[in-house]
Amino acid sequence: MKKSEVRQSLNTGAVFGIIHIFCVLIGFNAMMGSLLVKIVGQKSDLSAPTVASLVAYAILLGLFAGIVSARRQHEASLAKRVLASLLTGVVLSILATALVGIFQLLLTNHINPRNTFPTLSFPFMKACLFKLAGKGVWINFFIFLGSTVLGGLLNGLWDLPTVTSSRKNANTWIKNLGEKISGGSPKVKKIKKYAFLGLAILIVAIVPVEWGSYWNYVIGTVGLYVILGLGLNIIVGLSGQLVLGFIAFFAIGAYTVALLNAPIPFNIMLGFWPSLILAIILAAFTGLLLGLPIMNLRGDYLAIVTLGFGEIIRILLKSDVLTPFTGGPRGVQDIHGPMIFGHEFNDVNYMYLIIFAVLLAIFVYNRLQNSRSGRAWMAIREDETVAKATGVNTGKYKLLALMIGAAFAGLAGAIYAARNQYTGPDEHAMMASINVLCLIIVGGMGNIPGTLLGAFALKGLPELLREVENYRMLVFGALLVAMMLIRPEGLIPSKRPIRDLPDLPDENQSQEPTGAAVQAPGEQAHDR
Amino acid sequence: MTADTPTHLKKKGIQAAKLVRPILGVLVSLFLIYRIFDVLVVQKSFGPDTWTRLLIAGLILGGVYALVAIGYTLVYGILFMINFAHGEVMMIGAFGGYFVFEILKVIPAGSSGSYFLNTYPYLSIFLAFVGGMSISALVGFFLEKVAYRPLRKAPRLVPLISAIGASMFLQNAMQLLFSAQLRNYTNPDILRRGAGWTIAINNSDVVIPYTGVFSFVLSVVLLIILYTIVRKTKLGRSMRAVALDKKTAALMGVDVDRTISLTFLLSGALAGAAGVMWGIHNGMIYYYTGFIPGIKAFTAAVLGGIGNLPGAMLGGLFLGLVESVGPALLGIDFQLKDVLAFVILIVVLIFKPSGLLGESLAEEKV
Amino acid sequence: MTDNIIECNQVCKIFGGLIAVNKVDLEVPIQSITSIIGPNGAGKTTLFNCISGFYTPETGDVFFEGESLRGKSTDVIASMGISRTYQNIRLFSNLTSIENVMVGQHHKLKETWLDAVLGTRRSRKEEKDSIEEGVRWLNIVGLRGMGNVPARSMPYGAQRRLEIARALGSNPRLLLLDEPTAGMNPQETLEMTALIRRLRDEFGITIILIEHDMHVVMGISDQIAVLDFGQKIADGTPKEIQSNPRVIEAYLGPGGAALAKKYSKKG
Repeated sequence: MKKSEVRQSLNTGAVFGIIHIFCVLIGFNAMMGSLLVKIVGQKSDLSAPTVASLVAYAILLGLFAGIVSARRQHEASLAKRVLASLLTGVVLSILATALVGIFQLLLTNHINPRNTFPTLSFPFMKACLFKLAGKGVWINFFIFLGSTVLGGLLNGLWDLPTVTSSRKNANTWIKNLGEKISGGSPKVKKIKKYAFLGLAILIVAIVPVEWGSYWNYVIGTVGLYVILGLGLNIIVGLSGQLVLGFIAFFAIGAYTVALLNAPIPFNIMLGFWPSLILAIILAAFTGLLLGLPIMNLRGDYLAIVTLGFGEIIRILLKSDVLTPFTGGPRGVQDIHGPMIFGHEFNDVNYMYLIIFAVLLAIFVYNRLQNSRSGRAWMAIREDETVAKATGVNTGKYKLLALMIGAAFAGLAGAIYAARNQYTGPDEHAMMASINVLCLIIVGGMGNIPGTLLGAFALKGLPELLREVENYRMLVFGALLVAMMLIRPEGLIPSKRPIRDLPDLPDENQSQEPTGAAVQAPGEQAHDR
Repeated sequence: MTADTPTHLKKKGIQAAKLVRPILGVLVSLFLIYRIFDVLVVQKSFGPDTWTRLLIAGLILGGVYALVAIGYTLVYGILFMINFAHGEVMMIGAFGGYFVFEILKVIPAGSSGSYFLNTYPYLSIFLAFVGGMSISALVGFFLEKVAYRPLRKAPRLVPLISAIGASMFLQNAMQLLFSAQLRNYTNPDILRRGAGWTIAINNSDVVIPYTGVFSFVLSVVLLIILYTIVRKTKLGRSMRAVALDKKTAALMGVDVDRTISLTFLLSGALAGAAGVMWGIHNGMIYYYTGFIPGIKAFTAAVLGGIGNLPGAMLGGLFLGLVESVGPALLGIDFQLKDVLAFVILIVVLIFKPSGLLGESLAEEKV
Repeated sequence: MTDNIIECNQVCKIFGGLIAVNKVDLEVPIQSITSIIGPNGAGKTTLFNCISGFYTPETGDVFFEGESLRGKSTDVIASMGISRTYQNIRLFSNLTSIENVMVGQHHKLKETWLDAVLGTRRSRKEEKDSIEEGVRWLNIVGLRGMGNVPARSMPYGAQRRLEIARALGSNPRLLLLDEPTAGMNPQETLEMTALIRRLRDEFGITIILIEHDMHVVMGISDQIAVLDFGQKIADGTPKEIQSNPRVIEAYLGPGGAALAKKYSKKG
């Protein structure tokens, strides 16, 4: 094995070792472990995790490290991959063992590190040693080493010819199945499409009634985030303006409905529907106000200014100065929502409302995306200077994007306030803006399925997996960086639509009969 | 979707918008003058002792901001990106200094019953700074290596988002590692918080705090050192060369990657020093400590002209003074002092993005 | 009213201490093909940028069909009838070819965002018509069948042609081409030349080009303007320019004229 390859494997081990130490210090291992054992139905407490959960975590980490290490030896033989993972495993295990060795020392000397590292309580450290004190140190070593090597082995086996061919067979089988489901003569296709649609409508109509208010709340929130994501996508995904204070428009929508429909401070009781209209208009207007002065700002500056704007709104809402108008730090309570058949909306009604709003947002977004305005926005995103010289009034369109995106946010905010019957300045409102940004970046910028995926993944999953809650922002941050490094276009990249182009006669009267419209294969594409 | 203003009205609106800036500028200036006049002359709300206190506080704050602002400006000059995570680098430095003090607090030394911290106070302070600055420098170094370097060729939005992600990650990592609890800096006795020289103004005692003077002097010293490095040394020349034209600098034999790494090390170290100073003077630190000063320091850097070193220093001082004296001068609630800083940021970026001392951003090449 | 579509009047463009364009006069007759040539750094692209509105000249003026372009933003100038291409191709990479051309048509169309959302008859008709017209342009520049290809996936020569198609989308009366045959092989160059001629003959578009390929320049131009160090040192027909000693010296250096004479006698 070459020296550089050896160094690479050791390097991988060191990196994973440091990541592991970090994970232990923040209790991430306990969290992952509890998720893993949850699958088999066990429970594990985060501050005093079960041995099983931590063992599961260790094995998972080892496997992961082994696979990564083996993969870095591109196309190498099985033996070589296992060797690489062995080297990685040694380094990883040494670091992991050193850590629990220190734990053992602390335990035997009754030194409590909780003042510095709050995660490291005595029960926690004991669990990391698999409750076996001294022997636990060695067991740690072997578990990490073993699972890393196993990971390398698995990776090698995965790429064996026999495995690869059966993988290919499986893929073809799945593809055939997919074609069978969606294929058929045009008539059959139409029937299938309507059947599918009918089924979807049935599900949408019945499920919210059946599955209980908890789910309505969670999925409803996801829906609102979809609307937010689409709105932000118009601004960031389509027109390329990185706006960080987006949540401010949401707040304006929420506060509009709140202040017009609550006993304190104004007791106007305008009614939900007119307030909703007003909320959307007001949010759009704020977008205009924000957009006018910032029209000439470039990317980074735009981001910071919009961040500052968002912060200003948050501080103002939170301060005591404006309390008579906004309810101050405590927010606005007791908001009255829409009524139906004489009683206020219940959770099912809200769910339907949100579903309708989401469909509306998707509809509008889709229409805009493939229109003259959508193309103008994308041209601005691709190259603003050239877009302008090609005849696009860039200032007007940037403002338009901002206003429409803000309107989406205002809609979401209005529904949110009515549903929760309360709104107030969130502690870290910037985090919410970043949430929405994460959602569209991870899911896929500029397209609808990406936004849906992002909303479910980033808002739905944490709701379902309560354990992750504390680590959510950490994971988001890491996810943002990782996505930019690996796949900046998002999980579902935007694909331009394949249009039905008319087949007009060839008008190109070139001298030579060949080569005019068709490029010779192998010609270099000029990369930008 | 609901009806929005029809197109032709919007067009008129945009034409009117062109007048918005100068009108806004005049209105704001008039308002400011009125308020200042009101507070100073009419109501005489505060005596000279208060103004002196505010001024002192402003200078101290300004020194800290200047150190952090330099970091932003150095990085922006070289990579043309805002290092969003710079505030977090400062915060990590503050924690570094904190832990040094915590350790030194429990190492017994000297006469019975006393500890290292107070037996060797100067050495302790030195070690705290070394600790804080080293950690920050390392964090800055790895930040660049992991989150920025691979993205150097990507479109502008990408490294910016990566920076935002890094900032979030670092903040939350610190929170999870060390809990959200406020940590209290234990200064050595010679630098006890609140103690200082007292002078009497207007029949009341104005304290010039030891910690404050120390901060300010150290800031100035570090800034002078940095300025010398940039102007006089080989590293400084490389940094300036890379800032002006990366490709040509590379062709001339400058190791661009190494220069950039060293720049991040330097800017990190300065931020770390600022963090330790913050801890020594203000006493309380936690994972969120770096966020707002980070944005304010960026404001300062822009104020002075991004990429412009003396500008960043002066911008920092100016912003510190404005933040300290401003609310009182304008008769605004102190709760809104952060708003003041943000408003300044927005105003500067809109009206004079090249800053007060101005580095004109090159016209786009076609 | 003159017969000239473009009149440059003592145009001066200064960057810091450098006079990039120094009191240049230029008259471009309508429906002609004018080439601007000169050694590198002579100020050709800067002059282009002054004409297309990217730069505002310090002194002097550019008149398009009798109207001054001073102070007008580039999108307004585009809607007046001037389109251009760029030295380093600047397409909208993530859009398809047809979409690039449709952006070119942007300012001619009237569909608003509201039309799009509501799906009005106007928006649907405009979309249909603009797609059809866009396909026509793609065919004309020789990109038939490549409408759905993303711009960044196109080979180099095709990208250059796509840029022209995009410029044509707005039905310009004046087309500025910045080094249209750069990096092309002789075959492609021939096709490009034919295309340029066709645009003038069949569509009545006036063309100004910056070119380095002398075969193209001499073969296609009605008039040539030569810049050197920011100043116009000659203009006239290709024949006049070819034998102009000052031009030769600008390219070959002092003494170049004599050298050229010597070698042309032999050849």
